[in-house]
Amino acid sequence: MKTLKLRPYLLAATPFIGILILWTVLPSLLSVPAYKLPSPQLVWTKAIELTGDGSLLQHILVSLYRLALGFIVGNLLAVPIGIAIGVNRHASDFLLPLLTFLQSIAGIAWIPLAVLWFGIGDGAIIFVIANIIFFSNLYNTVIGVESIPQAYYRAVLSLGASRFDILKTVIIPGAFVQLIVGFRSSMAFGWRALIGAELIAGTTGLGYMTLDAVQWYQTETVILGMIIVGVIWLVMDRFLFRKLETMTVRRWGILQDK
Amino acid sequence: MPVNKPFLHGQFAKRGIKAAKGITGIAVLFIAWQIGASVSGVSSYFFPAPVDVYNAFRDMMHKGILEVYLLDSLYRYVVGVFLGSLVGIGVALALGLNKAIAAVFAPLVGFFYAIVESAWLPVFVIWFGYGITTILTLLIFVVAFPILYNVLAGIQTLPIVYVNAARSLGATRWQILREVILPGVLPSIVTGFRIGAGFAFRGLIIAEAIAATSGIGFLIFDGAANKQTDRTIVGMIIMGLLWLIIELAYLRPFERATIQKWGLVTTAEQREVQ
Repeated sequence: MKTLKLRPYLLAATPFIGILILWTVLPSLLSVPAYKLPSPQLVWTKAIELTGDGSLLQHILVSLYRLALGFIVGNLLAVPIGIAIGVNRHASDFLLPLLTFLQSIAGIAWIPLAVLWFGIGDGAIIFVIANIIFFSNLYNTVIGVESIPQAYYRAVLSLGASRFDILKTVIIPGAFVQLIVGFRSSMAFGWRALIGAELIAGTTGLGYMTLDAVQWYQTETVILGMIIVGVIWLVMDRFLFRKLETMTVRRWGILQDK
Repeated sequence: MPVNKPFLHGQFAKRGIKAAKGITGIAVLFIAWQIGASVSGVSSYFFPAPVDVYNAFRDMMHKGILEVYLLDSLYRYVVGVFLGSLVGIGVALALGLNKAIAAVFAPLVGFFYAIVESAWLPVFVIWFGYGITTILTLLIFVVAFPILYNVLAGIQTLPIVYVNAARSLGATRWQILREVILPGVLPSIVTGFRIGAGFAFRGLIIAEAIAATSGIGFLIFDGAANKQTDRTIVGMIIMGLLWLIIELAYLRPFERATIQKWGLVTTAEQREVQ
């Protein structure tokens, strides 16, 4: 039985191992210089070195801190405004076209202005992340609220509910599933924007670490950074957001498995 | 139960009011922005007013810079998305011919897909230098991976009964590919393409910011670097309009003509998550 369970993992590991072997063998065979493609050993040594002096952890933590703060600020704005737009037709008529336009600019294009207004570093980067997370989850919230059947409102209203009661018993629970989905996808957009923003406006962080290494031709740091970016996202997505989704959405049987 | 259809003119009137409200919303922003800029007395370099932005726009139109930048960006985008789709579809079909191969490669593709486009940019700069090669390579990556990822996932979820049904009717391998697998993964290709086209647009902007000397992305970042903030905002507005046009005039109709016509509900929102 145990071997059966292991099989998919072994299968999945095969191409990774294949790439690792190719990556080790090919550059020396084709005599690619190390600054173009450093060997896995070099990247590994770099990983040990940067872990040892603590700078790698520092960059990772700074990046995660910015992402978390941008996520909180963006969603604290997106959820209330999204609910307002979803509930009130006038608000939706006035604001949606404007927000649709602003959404199409959202993201890294704000970096120059953000740097000008908040200075290079944390302020500018968090502004950009919050901006993109806001627009990503705003629409989710609007859709979530709009998809609540009108009958629920009427049922609660006929029982004499106040506006606050409606918010508490109809809107928030009704839109909750969509909110969770929105949190997850807005985090994905935020993560993309974070690395981009750090490339340009960072003095620390994973994105900064990789582009800064280009200037010194420390390609092993660049590749290490890429691997870490991939791993962090997979870990975050799998263990944080997919767990959250299973705990909430799937358990209530609202979202269907693919 | 009879359905009360509103009269046509009523519908038009409703739409007109809605559009007017939307325009009012945008107008209010611009007026507030203009008033804010003139009242606050902050230097136009720090906070340019709409009038400054308009002047910068006219200046650049007059000098012909804007046209060149716009065409450069569009050219890179179209070529990148086209090549990326070719690569994506080709590799996807080669890898995804059957479920076993799809299962083996799906995690690897998932991992590469998790390395966001901006993280690829530095290594492309090292390999290809600053310029068009780096930009196009990035766009190809950004477009090809979601297609590949979605197709591999699509093949894995393709009901095996379809293959069995075709086989029991005596279909050859080629026929199974053409009649079962290919139609089965077409929606995945379209979904992946939609996601990739969206990411590619953002990818283009950041690639131009770092590796180009022309284009809308370059304009946005170069303007700010030269204290011409009004030019930056011109670039941002053009970027927004350009994306709206691409999205509304090309991508949505494309989606409607394909997956929605085939009666498959898109889950782009959920798939975009990965």
